[in-house]
Amino acid sequence: MNAMSFAWRSLVRQPARASLGVLGVAAVGALLFDMLLLSQGLVISMRSLLERTGFDLRVTATDALPGQGPLIANAVERAQAISRLPSVRSAIALRFADAVLLGGGPRGLSTTFQGVAGTAPVYPWTILRGRDIAPGLPEIVINENTATRMRLAPGSRVMLRASCTDEEQALPPEPFTVSGIAQFPFDSPVGTTIATSLPMLAKACGGNESNEADVIMVASQEGAGAAAAVADVAKLLPDLHVLSNAEAVNRFERGGFTYFRQISTVLTAVTLSFAVLLITVLLTVSVNQRLGELAALRALGFSRWRAAADVFCESALIVGAGGLLSLPAGALLAVALDHILKRIPGIPADVHFFVFQSSALRIHLLLLSATAIVAALYPIRIVATLPIAATLRDEVVG
Amino acid sequence: MAVPSNGQIIEAHSISRIFPMPAGPVTAVADVTLQIAARDHIAIRGPSGCGKSTLLHMLGCVEPPTAGTLLFRGDDVTKLSDRQRSLLRLRQIGFVFQRFFLLPMLTAAENIELPQSEANVPKAERRQRTQELLEYVGLAARAAHRPSELSGGEMQRVAIARALANKPGLLLADEPTGELDRATGEQIASLLDRVNADGTALVIVTHDPALAERSTRVLSMRDGRIESESASA
Amino acid sequence: MWIRCILALIGAALLAPATMSAEDKLPSVLISRQLSEGEHLSVGDVIRLSASDDGRNVQQFRIAGVYEPTPDPARLGAVIREVQLHLPDLLNVTRDPSTPSGSDYVQTINVALVDPSDAAAFSRDVRARMPGIDAQPASGAAESTGPFIVLRRFHLAIAIVTIVASTVFLLALTIMLVDERRAAVGVLRLIGLPIRRIVLQLFLEGLLIAVVGSMFGLVLSLLSQGIINRFFQWRYDTALVFVRITPQVAAICVAIAVPLGVSATVVASWALLRRNGLRLARR
Repeated sequence: MNAMSFAWRSLVRQPARASLGVLGVAAVGALLFDMLLLSQGLVISMRSLLERTGFDLRVTATDALPGQGPLIANAVERAQAISRLPSVRSAIALRFADAVLLGGGPRGLSTTFQGVAGTAPVYPWTILRGRDIAPGLPEIVINENTATRMRLAPGSRVMLRASCTDEEQALPPEPFTVSGIAQFPFDSPVGTTIATSLPMLAKACGGNESNEADVIMVASQEGAGAAAAVADVAKLLPDLHVLSNAEAVNRFERGGFTYFRQISTVLTAVTLSFAVLLITVLLTVSVNQRLGELAALRALGFSRWRAAADVFCESALIVGAGGLLSLPAGALLAVALDHILKRIPGIPADVHFFVFQSSALRIHLLLLSATAIVAALYPIRIVATLPIAATLRDEVVG
Repeated sequence: MAVPSNGQIIEAHSISRIFPMPAGPVTAVADVTLQIAARDHIAIRGPSGCGKSTLLHMLGCVEPPTAGTLLFRGDDVTKLSDRQRSLLRLRQIGFVFQRFFLLPMLTAAENIELPQSEANVPKAERRQRTQELLEYVGLAARAAHRPSELSGGEMQRVAIARALANKPGLLLADEPTGELDRATGEQIASLLDRVNADGTALVIVTHDPALAERSTRVLSMRDGRIESESASA
Repeated sequence: MWIRCILALIGAALLAPATMSAEDKLPSVLISRQLSEGEHLSVGDVIRLSASDDGRNVQQFRIAGVYEPTPDPARLGAVIREVQLHLPDLLNVTRDPSTPSGSDYVQTINVALVDPSDAAAFSRDVRARMPGIDAQPASGAAESTGPFIVLRRFHLAIAIVTIVASTVFLLALTIMLVDERRAAVGVLRLIGLPIRRIVLQLFLEGLLIAVVGSMFGLVLSLLSQGIINRFFQWRYDTALVFVRITPQVAAICVAIAVPLGVSATVVASWALLRRNGLRLARR
């Protein structure tokens, strides 16, 4: 009977204890797996989202994130100049404001209002129904939430009152026609977003400052790559700040995202310690209850290594079975935790906190293996240094 | 049953075992000289605490002597590593304990197979040997029963079969009838006699005078020393 | 030559106050510690501030002090590069030159009441008297901050999983501990003690262990609180408190841990006590 079979029989001898050990490792392992997913999940998801928008550079007036710093002056001309660079495929100027759609209730519906200067189909949204905005016409595209709450469809007419600065304003409402329903990549699950051309947004904002934007979004040429485009844009417009997707993700990682990485590190350490403690205690008590048998086996000729291998195999079986169970449990838990965290205001609907990565699975398996080894060390020591004769005597006396 | 090799199996020259204790060293066995040959049937008697079990453990290479020389088939046991001593016990010595120490999660047959498996005996050979041993001890019908389903006497018979699994030349038994009633003890004693008659040297530590009388040599111990040696009738 | 030296000294003495008074007349600002360390600025230095990226309307200020920013969890990870100005100075810096003075605005007015318990009534009164103005008690504002409500739920979910795992661990441990005493329990049954009596004993033992264990856990968590806070304060260069064990939190933990511990002991014992005393006593 090899060590693994022997270990299996030893565990099955105490089914309640073994089952609880496996369940404990499964629960702790699920949490461990989720923390590994969380440590990089948000960054991976955000990176993927940024790449899916089709733009890999963002140009702003300062190093503040788009929408948080001053406006770019002469944005339209600068976007056109950027789009003429050989390493650039397209460039659009984008401005953010707020608007209230009148109707649908006494206060109307507050929405995010975007204005774009550029040529379709490189707008930063995807048309779901209807068609895109026509340049020069007072048309808007709206997202599903807006369409549902205001009962709007392509062709509907709507009055909107824009708010374009931090100051209180009393701008006159402007009429717009809904040309299409679109999906905006950075929309939160409950967000309401509408978009039009930059001149139309400027008109709604009182007709002033039609040539300013919060950000110029740039798509690099396929062969050239983001790095070449960054260099070219920086050389063309040295007074502006150029941010690639990778740099944007780095900034997110160093900023608000860092909290999730830290908490995942702390909880990973806590869960591992817990697992080691659980298995160590289970095995140690189990070994201490069988000292007589173990001494007898040693007397019969079982070597220290064989006795140690038996204990290690018990640890491996508990951790292995628990680890296997922890994967589906962790997946379910990740879905639940992701659902909770996605309710943070402003988080885009397409961003997830828990993203499966094969590296997380590999690390998970590695950590569990290390847990099995470390947890077995103390009981192995007991078994390996067991004084055979003294133990046999104590068993008789006891 | 295999016949052990002729000649001395064990030669002990002035072996002692001293235990260091906080209150001072305790000499459990002092200056014992002893030879055990193939087919010897030896009983070791003495009052409680005289060092009988300690002597047995030294002869079985479980505990090395702190002084003196102990040869097992010519090899100095004190110079062997722990691994070598384990192998020695596995292949050449069998142990029977007062408390049986069968593994409760294994059946009678599996308990007997266990030392053979550890000695890398092929599976078919193990199975056959196990069956032979179960028949030898009269428990062929209880092969699939676990220790909790056996009586005390049956458990001790399984333990004896386990001790004989790898055909050792020497069987050491520490109070083999200590937890059994007289009738059952008599059965075990008869079985041990048979083991000895079939060629295995036997050393028994016992309080039971009736069991001691069945041996050919009786060693009486007191205060860690062999006080006297007599031959049974 | 002596006369020239005397005249130079007199000139320097007259010039120094003029120079000092020019700087003294500069408006003063406070800068955050992080800005001070990042830009190697110190008290007394003169800095120039502008609200536009092209340097329009730049003005000079003298650093009067360095302060530690109030910890803000919403800005975790950010390096707080802040300057505190007197409001008129801030308005001067940020005002568009074409905008006449007096047409400025502020986003927020913080109010400290004589009696803080009047906050809700005061807010209602302000809203009623000044349409277009929103007044909120500060404690209410904190509670309504969405991200922290979500994070609280997240932490609660993690805590629930941890409690489940701990319960499993506890049950395994108590089963082993009770199993070790099976022979003793079997003997007690054989000599005639009723099950109820034995259960009561085991219950009291479980209660004692659970209470002592909870206290130990509380002490451990208080120690961990200090370590965790110090680590994260160092990591994020902030005075924010990350972990705070309040009496309410401690009470909730004890209220969960003690019944769990006792329940685990009783459940483990129940499985044992259902068996025949003879089987328990037999090794």
